Amino acid sequence: MNQESALTYSKVNHDIIRMLDKPTVKWWSLFIFDLAVLAFGLFCFLYQVYTGLGVAGYRHPVFWAVYITNFVFWVGIAHSGTLISAILYLFRARFRMSIYRISEAMTVFAVLTAGLFPIIHLGRPWSFYWLLPYPNQRELWVNFRSPLLWDVFAVGTYLTVSSIFFFVGMIPDIAAIRDRVKEIPRKIIYTILSLGWKGSTWEWGHYTRAYFYFAAFATPLVISVHSVVSWDFAMSNVPGWHSTIFPPYFVAGAIFSGLAMVITLVVPIRKIFHLEQFITIANFEGMAKMIILTSLIVTYAYVVEFFMAWYSGNPYEWGQFMYRAKGDYALFYWIMIFCNSVVPLLLWFKKVRTNIKALFIISLFINIGMWFERFNIIVISLSHDFEPGGWGLYRVSWVELGVTAGSFAWFFMFFLLFIKILPALSISEIKEILPAPTREAKAR
Amino acid sequence: MIKEQGVFGIFSYIDSTVQAIKKLREADFKNLRVFSPFPSHEIEEALERRESIVRFFTLTGATLGALCGLTLTILTSLDWPIRTSAKPIVSLPPFMIFVFELTVLFGSLATLLGLLINSRLRRNAPRIMYDPRFSEDKFGIAVVCKIEDIRKVEEILKLSGADEVQFEGI
Amino acid sequence: MSEIKKGGSTKPVLSKGEGLITGGIKRRDFLKILGVVGGTAAITGGCSPEPVEKIIPYVIPPDTIIPGIPKWYASTCMECPAGCGILVKNREGRAIKIEGNPLSPINSGGTCARGQAALQGLYNPDRIGGPHTRNSSGRLEPTAWDEAESILVEKIKEIRSKGNGNKIVFLTNNISGSLNRLIDDWVNALGGRHIVYETFSHEPLKEANRISFGINKIPTYHIEETKYLLSFGADMLETWLSPVQYARKFSEMHGYKNKSMGKFVQVEPRLSLTGVSADEWIAIRPGTEAFLALGIANAILSEGAASVTSGEADKLNRLVKDYKPDVVSLITEVPTETITRIAKEFVESRPSLALGGGAANTSSKSTETLVAINILNYIAGNVGDTVNFGDTLTLSNANSFREIASLVDSMSKSEVELLLIYNVNPSFTLPKTLRFDEALKKVPFVVSFSSFMDETTEQANLVLPDHTTLEKWGDYTHQDSVYGVIQPIMDPVFNTKSIGDVILSISKKIEGLESQFSSNTFYDYLRDSWRGIQTRLAPDKDFEAFWTDKVERGGIYREIAPIQVRLSQEVSTVSFSEPKFEGEGAIYFMAYPSYRYYDGRGANKPWLQELPDAITTAVWDTWVEINPETARKIGVREGDFLSIESPYGNITTQAYIYKGIRPDTIAVPIGLGHKSYGRYAQNRGVNPIEILPVLTDEASGGFAWLSTKVNVSKTGKREQLVKTQDSTSQEGRGIAQAITLKELESGVHEQHELGEKFDMYPPQKYIKHRWGMSIDLSKCIGCGACVTACYAENNIPVVGKGQVAKRREMSWIRIERFYHEDNGFDIRFIPMLCQHCGNAPCEPVCPVYATYHNHEGLNAMIYNRCVGTRYCSNNCTYKVRRFNWFTYNWPEPLNWQLNPDVSVRTKGVMEKCTFCVQRIRFGEDRARDEERNVRDGEIIPACAQACPTKVIVFGDLKDGESTVSHLAKDERGYRVLQEVNTQPAITYLKKVTWDKA
Repeated sequence: MNQESALTYSKVNHDIIRMLDKPTVKWWSLFIFDLAVLAFGLFCFLYQVYTGLGVAGYRHPVFWAVYITNFVFWVGIAHSGTLISAILYLFRARFRMSIYRISEAMTVFAVLTAGLFPIIHLGRPWSFYWLLPYPNQRELWVNFRSPLLWDVFAVGTYLTVSSIFFFVGMIPDIAAIRDRVKEIPRKIIYTILSLGWKGSTWEWGHYTRAYFYFAAFATPLVISVHSVVSWDFAMSNVPGWHSTIFPPYFVAGAIFSGLAMVITLVVPIRKIFHLEQFITIANFEGMAKMIILTSLIVTYAYVVEFFMAWYSGNPYEWGQFMYRAKGDYALFYWIMIFCNSVVPLLLWFKKVRTNIKALFIISLFINIGMWFERFNIIVISLSHDFEPGGWGLYRVSWVELGVTAGSFAWFFMFFLLFIKILPALSISEIKEILPAPTREAKAR
Repeated sequence: MIKEQGVFGIFSYIDSTVQAIKKLREADFKNLRVFSPFPSHEIEEALERRESIVRFFTLTGATLGALCGLTLTILTSLDWPIRTSAKPIVSLPPFMIFVFELTVLFGSLATLLGLLINSRLRRNAPRIMYDPRFSEDKFGIAVVCKIEDIRKVEEILKLSGADEVQFEGI
Repeated sequence: MSEIKKGGSTKPVLSKGEGLITGGIKRRDFLKILGVVGGTAAITGGCSPEPVEKIIPYVIPPDTIIPGIPKWYASTCMECPAGCGILVKNREGRAIKIEGNPLSPINSGGTCARGQAALQGLYNPDRIGGPHTRNSSGRLEPTAWDEAESILVEKIKEIRSKGNGNKIVFLTNNISGSLNRLIDDWVNALGGRHIVYETFSHEPLKEANRISFGINKIPTYHIEETKYLLSFGADMLETWLSPVQYARKFSEMHGYKNKSMGKFVQVEPRLSLTGVSADEWIAIRPGTEAFLALGIANAILSEGAASVTSGEADKLNRLVKDYKPDVVSLITEVPTETITRIAKEFVESRPSLALGGGAANTSSKSTETLVAINILNYIAGNVGDTVNFGDTLTLSNANSFREIASLVDSMSKSEVELLLIYNVNPSFTLPKTLRFDEALKKVPFVVSFSSFMDETTEQANLVLPDHTTLEKWGDYTHQDSVYGVIQPIMDPVFNTKSIGDVILSISKKIEGLESQFSSNTFYDYLRDSWRGIQTRLAPDKDFEAFWTDKVERGGIYREIAPIQVRLSQEVSTVSFSEPKFEGEGAIYFMAYPSYRYYDGRGANKPWLQELPDAITTAVWDTWVEINPETARKIGVREGDFLSIESPYGNITTQAYIYKGIRPDTIAVPIGLGHKSYGRYAQNRGVNPIEILPVLTDEASGGFAWLSTKVNVSKTGKREQLVKTQDSTSQEGRGIAQAITLKELESGVHEQHELGEKFDMYPPQKYIKHRWGMSIDLSKCIGCGACVTACYAENNIPVVGKGQVAKRREMSWIRIERFYHEDNGFDIRFIPMLCQHCGNAPCEPVCPVYATYHNHEGLNAMIYNRCVGTRYCSNNCTYKVRRFNWFTYNWPEPLNWQLNPDVSVRTKGVMEKCTFCVQRIRFGEDRARDEERNVRDGEIIPACAQACPTKVIVFGDLKDGESTVSHLAKDERGYRVLQEVNTQPAITYLKKVTWDKA
């Protein structure tokens, strides 16, 4: 409270816009390193396109692996962004204000990253657009019964809507920057981006209304998108995939991993730009509590999967889950359990919840754990399905690792640019939650 | 030739701004433009503005989206009927997914459109009747009025505690 | 065959200045080929015959060939001595597919994998492109034919002038028929010798028959008529005598039909592919088969159940009296009750048959063993019934190993001045200890007629490459009842020349011979010798009609009834003792002939290299089979490199843990370990023959393959053993199901029911056809002919060892093998291919409709539409879809074999079995042209056609009268994983076992 009182409107402007000052050497070196990794990832991809998908580690019958794992992972990350901004907006959760801009940015960039993988993993990536229902001279249409096409629409819609949400939310802040910056090039850019925003009640009126609708749309969309992603698996008949609990399980997992990623991103930013006043321990605690909740849901799903496999008496399901726990990939399975079900239990302790360092480390564990969750679901199920004669083991190849590293670089490239070009915190909304300056207050 | 002209008061405090608005409206100055660094309910109430019409855009967009989803899936499937497994050519359950997604997509796009149109957002920076401080910590009231009223308006603004008052001719 | 595409592809090796087809086929050459086939066709078409070399110019378009329409020519397969009849498909002048000739009584339509792969011999990129001679620097360099021939002529003249004609030796394999006669006469005219060397030549069999019945020949066996087959290590389904013939006959005898089937007992230390089909495997102590046979005979005779004259009975009793079952049991490690039981079954279920003499089990006492087996057959009354001495094999003409050894000896003593080698590769197939290579160096002039640069040819002074069987005229006789014709299917691919023509043309230049060998071409010579046959068999007929008819049908097929033979006196002189084993080692070493490579000649054919061995599913390499118990003792896991040490050297290869072999025995397949012989064979695997001693079967002089005891030790090196199936258990999932005879008789067994009633949607509707298949597991012997046939028909690329290690082999049909260890050790095979499901899981998940269900029930796959999401494969319950990870390419001229009716796939698309849709369309179109419905059995997919045991039946399930729809309702019928309710179009018929299921 004491800190907050020290905050004035102009301090808010000043502190947040200060983040956009000239990039430091540290930033540049980070950025260049990032581009280098990205370049390597790109090389790997092109090499794969040139020689053929065989340079990836796929082996019969494991025809989906790291690429699809990354896809699901990134889509998952994308979720908590919208969750924090939209759902918490509808619930008017105050702790959202300071972090939602960052998480929205994360959402957009994560979707941009996720969107790459379905194309990267294609056998003939140059024909990816055949998945779009466009009128063509061959008079072919697409198969709307295929879960992959549901993906195309769900992810596409999600990217569009979350980008709109992201951008609209920023207009007033960009206007604030416009009014502040002097040097010409930036001035012009922000002027254009701000769309001539004046902050008149007139504008605010429509703005708040529209923003409410975006939130209202985004909320069910988030749920639907990850449900659809989960149907890529649940709609097939592969033991370990074909399961009705997948949608809720995946959505919870997505939020779980997303929150972890937000923490992973916010902690360093908060430190570097000294935003302690804006992003408070309370904010982190709020997220930590949601992590506990989602972690429990995910754990419950793990247990139920096993229970159903046993209770249904389905030999293929049971074989699959026994194989997960004891088979060739057991290590990965137990990594997943440890990171997603055991580690988060620490957050029950307020001491841990309120300790930034601890939170940061735990969030890293969760990121790893959730990546392996997807890996296990995809790879283990495929390598051990109905027909013993067809079973085979998967081993990752350097190309896949390269592309994966590249995808992280791609994500962070956007993020590094974001914190230097756009307001990483919402100026106007923070002002909203500050006590408005009144003459009475002054008088006292 | 002067089309429109007004008095332009800048405030530091929200309560004085609200007070000024109330006074002005009592004095029957209805054509006010109020600026604030964040959406403020007090001001909205003081101005007694009606509900934004953006929602109608949203509704139309959403409905349109739903229809598109339905027609796209069904018509293309019928145009090129190919059997997969034993599933019917028009299998509605999966098609509903597209209905939903397109509802959301078109709805959001329409809302954006509605916002841009209604709030008359333009590309260029505001020149007149605007002060950069509005995006920081100041509130502002622009009163469009006849020349003979200018004094009166200035008085009201001053009294209600405007830091400064300017005249602007357009 | 199919490295990752790197642009350039290898061209056929051609000697300079030869205007032959290189790279892509030129227009002129194409027309030339059209002309040639026109010529060939003219002959088979019954018009006036003309030599194949004559080219019909394009101004007279060949009326017998229509581009786009295949022509079939009958010929004879020469991949092994069995000489199956084949039909070869010719499209636009190129041979593109080999199928069994239904008329031939040997294989009657079936083939083996080796037969299918003959095309890759024809189009092998490593063939010798033309005649080569050794230049001053000692390197083989290309030359022209007349030069090459004159060199040989000079050599012969020189030798004869020295009066050393007797120092000329012609070493060939068992080429019966006209060529054999030509070579015999020719080499005799020169005063030299013609020696016939077969790697697996069955001398003990001949000798034993001489001793027992006074007939020094190999008989034919009527397995199809037997009710009880007792085989002492005869691998009759793999390489023994006539594998395709015996596979077919075996399936007739052992396949389940009208509630009964024959019983098959296999006696051998290692469960061979043949043994897998047996109802009972008796893991006898190596080399003691004779005693088991005697024990059984003893039991029969003491029961008085033998069908012999009293005199013979006493004679035999005297012979077998010491071999009471209990005694025998101690020697052979076979339980007494088993012996008595088999004795009982053997005499009671008549006609029965006992076989013996598989190479792998040939010891130094094989003749005695086979005598004992003859006795068994004799007392059971099988000789003259299921053992046919009327129809004997030409293999009987092969020289014994002892004679080969003495040849090598005389070579090393420089008693051979000119050695002509044809169709044999002694440097590879003779044990190192015989020192053939050293001996060969002592021979001043060596001529090889081989088409391939094998180990022996490499050391030749002159190489005169012969045509492959598919490019030349000839004839072959495997057994007396069959004269097979060999006719050229296409113009020679390389600048080669038929050996017959070479001999004839050089004879013209050698005084004294020109008169005797007056024929201009071997084709004339052949026809002359067939005139002889005609005058003998059909004197009243006109020769041309006779000839044309035989060429069309692929040869002369007769029935020769068994002759009655009595036991000879000599039998009583036979004494039985255990065979000799060299080496101090503790473990018996077994080198067994591979059904994929035969004696190694198959190793240069990528199809055979990539055909998974049925039992181990290993490819592209050699392995050593070792019992789990022994493995545990020396701490060996699969993939460990073991050093196998005999007194004559050691080999190192990877271990495969195999319960189907005795703990005191290890086994290594023969065929790989070539030092040369082309890119596919070279430096791959090891050759077990290298460490075998020069030990012969004492009585017959045949090579004793089972004659060594070795030491086995770990090298510490370990690698993944590259094989196509990891899991050996079917985890009780009922993939390959079996049922006992009893259950079938009693009728108490759950019938499979179809899944329609679980459906949410109405079942599929089919307008005209619903193509389906049935696969009878009681007949499948796992030989893999279907797999290779599929490669040939559907342009399936070979991916190489490295890719198979990643399980990326492209085969559309795979033979899965599952081990069953519950009661006794037993292996089950099941061919797994696209099931063309009614509710195919792969279809709805494809976003671009690249795979869908067509109106004939085919699960269609459209390559052009596929973007490669691979979701279809993930969702495929049977995992039978294959993905093109790379663009695979075929080194020139292997690509000449590609089937024009099937598109070649490029990288990034999915593919799978199409039920040979091209054949279906062909059949449907023909039916439409002839305004009739498709006949049942008219359309046959490549796999079904090739199958020697007729396991696969294809047809229209919508037509209630078709065979397949009857089989679909068969009491043994089931669908794999039908609880998933994919509603496959393939019905499997359960394997039928005697006791265990």
